[in-house]
Amino acid sequence: MAAAVVTRPLVAIRGVSQRFGADGAGVLALDAIDLDIPDGQFVSVVGPSGCGKSTLLSLVAGLRVPSSGAVLCDGEPITAPMPRKVGVIFQEANLLPWLSAIDNVAFPLKLRRVPKGERLEAAARMLALTGLAGFESRLPHQLSGGMKQRVAIARGLVQNPAVLLMDEPFASLDEQTRMVLGDELLRIWSETRKTVLFVTHSLNEAVYLADRVVVLSARPGRVVDDVAVDLARPRSFAMTSSERFGILKDRIWQHIKHAERR
Amino acid sequence: MTRLRLGQAALYLGILAAWELLPRAGVIPRLFVPPLTEALGTLIADRREYLGSLPTTFGEIAVSYVIVCGGGILAGQLIGASAAARRMLLPVLRSAYAVPLVVLYPVMMVWFGLGSESKIAFASIYAFIPTLLTAVAGVAALSPGLAETARAFGATRAQQILYVSLPASLPSMVAALRLGGALVIVGVIVAQMLGAADGLGYLITRHRTLLNSPGVYAGIVLVLGITGMHEILLRRLEQTVAAYRQS
Amino acid sequence: MRRHERFIVAAGVLGLLGLWEALARLGRLDASLAPAPSTILEALGRLLRRPEVLQSLGVTAWEALAAFVIAVPVGLLIGFTLAEVPGLGGLLRPLVNFLFGVPKSIFLPVFILVFGVSIPQKIAFGVFTTIFVLIMGGIAAVQSVPHELVTVSRVYGATRLQIIREIYLPAMAPILLESARLGMVFNITAVLLCEIYGARDGIGYRIAAWGENLQMPQLYAALVLVAVAAVAVNEALRLVETRLGAWRQRS
Repeated sequence: MAAAVVTRPLVAIRGVSQRFGADGAGVLALDAIDLDIPDGQFVSVVGPSGCGKSTLLSLVAGLRVPSSGAVLCDGEPITAPMPRKVGVIFQEANLLPWLSAIDNVAFPLKLRRVPKGERLEAAARMLALTGLAGFESRLPHQLSGGMKQRVAIARGLVQNPAVLLMDEPFASLDEQTRMVLGDELLRIWSETRKTVLFVTHSLNEAVYLADRVVVLSARPGRVVDDVAVDLARPRSFAMTSSERFGILKDRIWQHIKHAERR
Repeated sequence: MTRLRLGQAALYLGILAAWELLPRAGVIPRLFVPPLTEALGTLIADRREYLGSLPTTFGEIAVSYVIVCGGGILAGQLIGASAAARRMLLPVLRSAYAVPLVVLYPVMMVWFGLGSESKIAFASIYAFIPTLLTAVAGVAALSPGLAETARAFGATRAQQILYVSLPASLPSMVAALRLGGALVIVGVIVAQMLGAADGLGYLITRHRTLLNSPGVYAGIVLVLGITGMHEILLRRLEQTVAAYRQS
Repeated sequence: MRRHERFIVAAGVLGLLGLWEALARLGRLDASLAPAPSTILEALGRLLRRPEVLQSLGVTAWEALAAFVIAVPVGLLIGFTLAEVPGLGGLLRPLVNFLFGVPKSIFLPVFILVFGVSIPQKIAFGVFTTIFVLIMGGIAAVQSVPHELVTVSRVYGATRLQIIREIYLPAMAPILLESARLGMVFNITAVLLCEIYGARDGIGYRIAAWGENLQMPQLYAALVLVAVAAVAVNEALRLVETRLGAWRQRS
């Protein structure tokens, strides 16, 4: 491997703790999280229920400000949503039900008052990227769950953010759709080279998709492991039955198993 | 007591106090709103008169109740059970709901005169469609598997309604009862207000023409009491039914 | 409704009318109490050519419209306030629910005591009857806005104004329109009730007068007119409501 070049991580989480509730008392959701994510890396975040994965994501999204510590994107602290730098995809697609697919994808651009022609063109490109060319004028209730998530992903990408945050985006889909979308996501990622922070409950997904899996403990969430996934890319389904895959999964499972038992 | 409860209690007391004090202070003309105690006083002082209007009123309500709730619920069971019937009749009924049925009362007076029949006819028509719609919705919400199971065991239509559909949709039927009953009470009182020789509504109108506002309010308070009691009784019934179904 | 079912319903209605017409023609029905449909239609035609009848219709329509135009914004505003201001909603909710459940018609004599028999009295009573539907509708509409969509907008950098315009308004539109439609139904009924109870003009007043004078053809004709007009208004509003709410279907 070539000599490591010292570059600033794109996303830096420095000593972040998050406390909910009255000052002083209240629940500690996250405890002194330190995480550096270089540009273009695909990072999965797993942990037992309630470990604060989603809270961590909302901090990077700028929806909350950390109780202590700081989240930095490109060297600047994140204190509010930065839609041009950070795109967010939620567990439910959360599409606006009265807008067509293309209007949904163009929505962030509309908020920024981008002219209509320009934003529809960008939206159309994103829909094509996520494999939904031809579905532009469909309304959300005419789309399947998987298709809705594709629209959500297209919407997250439309402003070409450097960072993509995904909060259990495939959790409400059936297994086959999850697998298909997972591969689609990897395809899009390899074409666009975004930095991805992917929260999931599924160990399979976490290992299959990512370069690196960060394991959080039960509440208060601390980083208990940082697993480098050294499987070759592009990933294939066959890899999931390999010994290496199993070892990685098991390593992660050991942490979670202990936590869930409590 | 929580802050919310205290706040609400204060609010209600405040309203009652305003009702009493503002007319007395002359802020609101006593003709428009007499003091609360005056209205209640009239109710008590003239209780003979008010109580005397109740038998007729209750009688008319009772008969209409049976027609509307009995007929409405039965019709609801029949229509609700058939998807085709629902498809055909619901749009018509929903459009008919928009018709201001109050204009039918003059017709009722021509057909039935000033007596109880016109009130019963009017209240029955007035309350029928909403009750029917509620009952149909309740039956439609039942899982179709129930009816099919009953039919598989060879139940006739009547048996299916009596032993399966009715018990299963009981909460909705009670809801229909509650709605229908409230509308019947209002229907009878309004009909009495519009043209009658007896009854609580007639009394209210008479006091109004005499500009006896405490008398009017006394009557209104009595009507509110009746509708309130009906509401409480039916809520109690709803809760009992719900509890019975749990067990 | 399936196509053949539409035929059945139409055939049923026409059949009933035909039966009625036949029975009346054959003298089986008391002509004074139940004239034939054709007689009623004839009377309707004559009615619509009388200027004083048209004027009465205008009065009623004006009362209904004025009450509606006042009740809708005021009611919605109150509803929004109750839904948005945290403490207020909880405090006043039981009171509003109670008032909503109280039959408004019985308060008509009070309005006459206050306003006398007059057009403002009818408009005021119309507002009184309608406003509660709009308050409840306003509350329901605000509560129906899915919170996740507001979060999504925030993530994409929406300003307060943009959230209201792009999320709240489209989300609330169907419920608001439905409340407006229901409110109109109550409103028309209230105005007509006023006119039948005590008035000097308006189609309700005429209906009551025709009833008193046993002028049955005119009475029935007016009933048909009022019914058709009310249903037409309701269906027109429903059309708008459906058009703007098409996205609410389940997939």
